[in-house]
Parts: sequence; structure tokens; C-alpha cells
Amino acid sequence: MTARKLVQPFPLVTPDTDAMEAAQTMAAQRLPGLIVCRDDGRPYTILPGSQVLRFLIPTYVQDNPGLARALDDEASEELCRKLVHSTVRDLLPQPRDLDELPVVDIEATALEVAAVMARMHSPLVAVVDDHDGGNRVIGAITVSRLLDHLLPERPAN
Amino acid sequence: MTAVLVVVAFAAAYVLIATERIHRVAAALSGAAAMVLLGVVDARVAFFSEKTGIDWNVIFLLLGMMVIVSVLKQTGVFDYLAIWAAKRTRGRPFATMVMLVVITAVASALLDNVTTVLLIAPVTLLVCDRLALPPVPFLIAEALASNIGGTATLIGDPPNIIIASRGVLTFNDFLVNVAPIVIILLVVFIGLCRVLFRAAFTYDPERVAALMALDERETIKDRGLLLRSGIVLVAVMVGFVAHSVLNIQPSMVALLGAGALVALSKLDPPEFLEEVEWPTLVFFMGLFVMVGALVEVGVIGRLGTLLTNAVGDHYFLASSALLWGSALLSGIVDNIPYVATVTPLVQSLVEAGHGARQATALWWALALGADLGGNATAVGASANVVIIGIAARNGHKISFWQFTKYGSVVAAVTIAASWAYLWLRFYAFG
Repeated sequence: MTARKLVQPFPLVTPDTDAMEAAQTMAAQRLPGLIVCRDDGRPYTILPGSQVLRFLIPTYVQDNPGLARALDDEASEELCRKLVHSTVRDLLPQPRDLDELPVVDIEATALEVAAVMARMHSPLVAVVDDHDGGNRVIGAITVSRLLDHLLPERPAN
Repeated sequence: MTAVLVVVAFAAAYVLIATERIHRVAAALSGAAAMVLLGVVDARVAFFSEKTGIDWNVIFLLLGMMVIVSVLKQTGVFDYLAIWAAKRTRGRPFATMVMLVVITAVASALLDNVTTVLLIAPVTLLVCDRLALPPVPFLIAEALASNIGGTATLIGDPPNIIIASRGVLTFNDFLVNVAPIVIILLVVFIGLCRVLFRAAFTYDPERVAALMALDERETIKDRGLLLRSGIVLVAVMVGFVAHSVLNIQPSMVALLGAGALVALSKLDPPEFLEEVEWPTLVFFMGLFVMVGALVEVGVIGRLGTLLTNAVGDHYFLASSALLWGSALLSGIVDNIPYVATVTPLVQSLVEAGHGARQATALWWALALGADLGGNATAVGASANVVIIGIAARNGHKISFWQFTKYGSVVAAVTIAASWAYLWLRFYAFG
């Protein structure tokens, strides 16, 4: 089985996409992350959902999660308002962390896809088709889709 | 010849520690290894000699307190206290800063300064976020308060632990001789905060509701553990106060307290050892071996004689030089190696005074200078470095000069006040 068979259409965003719109897409479609492309359609990086949370939750609360218990629902809403007037670029980690991308070629095997996900701690990989030299993103493979393929089928009870 | 080589090795290691060209633990261990290779230090000298060996009272006092802090941290009591205090001020910025500064100073007197700022900084950022206040002035004030508060007690700052052990000073000696001036300094510091950070005190009544909505009770993770920790901490403090009467060293009090907390908390080793800074403990051991070698070859003895002859009975002059000199050096280099090196010299001067209070006051000059001098620059004390790091991680850059601009004023004022205190208390009236 190759990536060609596993790939699914996936919403694409660019670094300039509105952050709230991107987060809402992720939430509405129950996606583990989004593929971020450059303006020319080449893959830029993956935006995992955890990175959105990292942007929303102040570092001091991440360091001391006990503080989160002191905050009420209104404070949670206030934290989410940070997405307003922000772009996907603001949510992304520092550029130095973007050297290596969780991207596989359309002909990659399922285990190759799994290896990239495992190595890069990514919940999804972008699949690119480079046959015409365009390095175009044609979709993505999520970890659930991959596991569904790799694991033996559960016996029906 | 050996003495010269020991001095060269000591100076080389000290330069490496001061310049941080290599990690300070590696530098101290290299220095200690050089002393062994030069044939000055052996196992007896390093491990079993009270005069030249590793001061195990210092090591185990630090270890015991670190374990106590590890358990206390699990309770969430600092988050509770800071939010509770900020809510009592109803969001008035200066009052909030005063509350946080006092909590930090008192906690630093009882616990390690770095731990205190690590515990108080996150909740400070939360309070400032709720009140839409700039957090940098609050964080800087807390680092400065931590260094001031830590000066008050034997356990408040590592240099005090070294001074107490080498000078055979009790917990109460610090309470009687240093704590009073620290209380005055804290009041002076609060006044300085009003002036230095005045631009930060913009009151926004609309934000007060956001602060008041915080529920501090939710930050207490384990009420049973908090109660048990509180009881043990009180017992440890009573032990420190009464250690000379009970004839038990502070290190033993701390270890007993740590043992009791570990038994009562039922925490796993990774949890109750979380705050133990093994590199710091090893650094101390290396330093003690280095300084012990200087004692062993007679360098400290000769320097002590020279100093004693030079000082004669001009103890106020010596006190002044020690206070200001220590403050100046501690603002530039780590005060721990500095204090470890000069304590044998101060010991010679104090012993030459045959118990005169003017001579004993040299210990207080050293403690005040070394501890308060750390406030002078951004790198003068570990608490400063830690607070700048926390601020940066949270997107608030504090430059070296930004910190130093405030710190140098606070250090100069507090050292000057300490100088006046030493003169009035120990020298002015004979």
C-alpha cells in the first residue's frame, strides 16, 4: 500500500490565513492539524492542533498547569480571543523548527509514512506529487487513517 | 612551590567559574582535581577534615531544604497565596506589587531564592494578565525582593549557610543581627518600588472583575498534603530557632524535616527529589575542596595573619571594606565561590577579635554585602537570571541594562542603609 491509496483531500491554509478561521476548520472537521502551503502551493509546514493550543495557553500556565484551575470559563473565552487578528503565521513555531517537514511522496509506502510521523511527532503528513516538478500538495494522511490500514481488523463480536 | 601551584590552579578555576567559559560545576571539579593531582588533597583532607574538607553541614542543609521545597511545591500553596493576596488588594497595582514583594521576601527567607521566584513568577504573570498590567516591573521587583528577603536568615541564601557553618553561627544569630535590618530594607525597598516602577501602576477598574473571578482555592492540589507540609514546615522552623538549645545542627533539622515530609507525603522519589539541584551540590563540593587546598598549604593562614595585622582593631573600617567590596564583587561574579573563599579569611579576623562584637560583626558585613550586592546587576544573583529567563519565555524581554538600571539603585540604597545599620549597632557606641 502506498501513500497514493491512503491520501485524502485535506483543507489547505497559507501562513496568511486568519488564525480563527484555521482553528474553526480544524474543530469543525475534527482534524488533528492542517497543512500549511506557500502561495505557490508547495508545502510549508504542518500546523498540529497542539500548536494552536500552545499559542492560546500562556507559557506560565503550560509550565504550571495548576494555575489553569483558577481560571473560569470567561477566562477561557478571553484566551481564545487571541486568535482574532492573528494569522496562521503567528501560530507556527519559530522558523528554525521548520527545517524538516512531515511530507511524503505519493509513492511512499505505508511504513515510510508511519516512520515520518513517528520521527516528527506529527499527527498527519502532507502528500506531495512531484511528477511534474511542481511538488504540489494533493492531500494528507492522518494517523488514524494510517493506523486503520496498518492494524489487523478487529474480529466482529 | 606547591603553594604557588595551588594558588595558580585556584585562580585558573576561579576565572573559569567567573567567566562561565565552561560550566561552573566542571570548573569547580577541575579545580578540585588539580588540588588532588598536586598532592595537597587526599580523601582525609577532602572528606573528613572539618577545617579543609567538604562542609557536609552546608551540603546536607541544602539537600534537606531542596527536598522540603519539592514537596511544598506539589501543594500549590504559592499560587493560592499570591492570588489570595492580589484579590485582597482589589486589583490596585501598587498594593498588588507590595503583596507579591512581601510574599516573595518572606518565602525567600525560609526557602531558596531561585525556588521562590520559580514558584511566584508564573502566578505573577497570571495576575498581571488579569489586570492588564505590564509584568516586567513586577518580575524585577520580585527578583530584588527575593535577594533582600533571603539575606534575613541562615537558610535564606547559600552564602549565609556557608557563613553560618564556618563562623559557627546559629539560626537565631541571623534572626537577631541580620533580620532586623532586612525588615527595614524591605520597607525601604517598597518605597523605592513606588518611585522606580511608578509608570506601571495604571489602574483599570474594568479589569478588576477578571482578577476577582480567579478561584485561588482551586490551586490547592492536595489539602491533606498541604496540612501535613505546613505542620512539618513549622516544626522545621522551630527546630532551626531552637537548634542551639536542642544541640542539633541546622543540617540535621533540615534532613529530619525532609525525611518526615517524604514519609508523610507518600510521594515518589522523582517528585520529592524534583527540586534537588544536584549540580549546585556538586559545585559546592568542588569549591570546598579548592578552598580547603588553600588552607592546607597555609595560604589562607598567611593571608589571614597579614589581614589581621593590617586591620588591627579598626573593625569598622574592615567591616565597611568587607560590606562594600563584597557587594561590588557579588554584583559581578557568583557570590557563592566568593563567600566560600573569603570565609576562612574573615574567620581569622573574627578569631583575632577574641569574641568582641565589633569583630563578630564582620560576618554580618560579609552576609549583607554578598547577598544584597547580587541585586546590582542582571547576572549578580541566580534569582535575577531565572526571572529574566521566565520573562523571556513568556514573551517579555528584560535586557541586562533594564534590570541593572533598577537593581543598581536598589543595591546601592540597601547597602548604604546596611552600612549605617552596622555602624549604629556595632561601632558607634563602643
